[in-house]
Amino acid sequence: MSASWLRVVAVLEPLTLLLLVVNRATVHVPALAAAVGPVHGTLYLAGIALAWAAGLSRRSRLLAVVPAIGAWLALRGHTPVSPSS
Amino acid sequence: MAAFLLSVHVLAAIVFVGPVTVAASLFPRYARAALAEPPDAGAAGVARALHRVSAGYAVAALVVPVFGVATAVQLGVLGEAWLLAAIAVTVLAGGLLAAVVVPGQRRVLAAVAEPDGDAPAPPADALARLAMATGVFSLLWAVVVVLMIVRPGSTTGVLR
Repeated sequence: MSASWLRVVAVLEPLTLLLLVVNRATVHVPALAAAVGPVHGTLYLAGIALAWAAGLSRRSRLLAVVPAIGAWLALRGHTPVSPSS
Repeated sequence: MAAFLLSVHVLAAIVFVGPVTVAASLFPRYARAALAEPPDAGAAGVARALHRVSAGYAVAALVVPVFGVATAVQLGVLGEAWLLAAIAVTVLAGGLLAAVVVPGQRRVLAAVAEPDGDAPAPPADALARLAMATGVFSLLWAVVVVLMIVRPGSTTGVLR
């Protein structure tokens, strides 16, 4: 359950940051920054919380702390254990 | 902008923190029934669902402090005493939930799943301590809500 949410975060975390950076570099709408900024922040924290809750390896849990791409990094090194194997 | 951020903050508190409070406070009762002799399988299922709500919505509840801080920055009140106190109490409550309540629920569920098996049985008073930690968690965030309404030391509190 946590792992699939982690995948969602792994996509949205860098995406929201990209949105913020593009906004800043181009039209710079302050309202967008004020709205998307906290969303990115929440995703960052959620990535750490989910990596920890999903019981990933210690390395993955530490990688989740890396800003912007933490959740993606945490998932990269994680090979899901299937009960049938 | 602050209106939008504050709306998200309050809405998220209602929608995410509320269910955690209810689910976590109901968990001990159903876990006790699941651990009783003879074990109640229906209660075990409910306890598992309550744990999933507690843990899952606890992660979602991260939205609340993030948007809270964002609102405070927009309103320019981030340095005020009542808010710093509220943030400190929130950190305590969140820490209690993440480090005591949710893992405590997981350990109890492990004992429910394997009553004579490999999982180390939690000590007899584990459920009582879990209930107490849950109660403290609920009390702590209730204190946060009151702080944010009354705002002691500020001119903008509801009691003026």
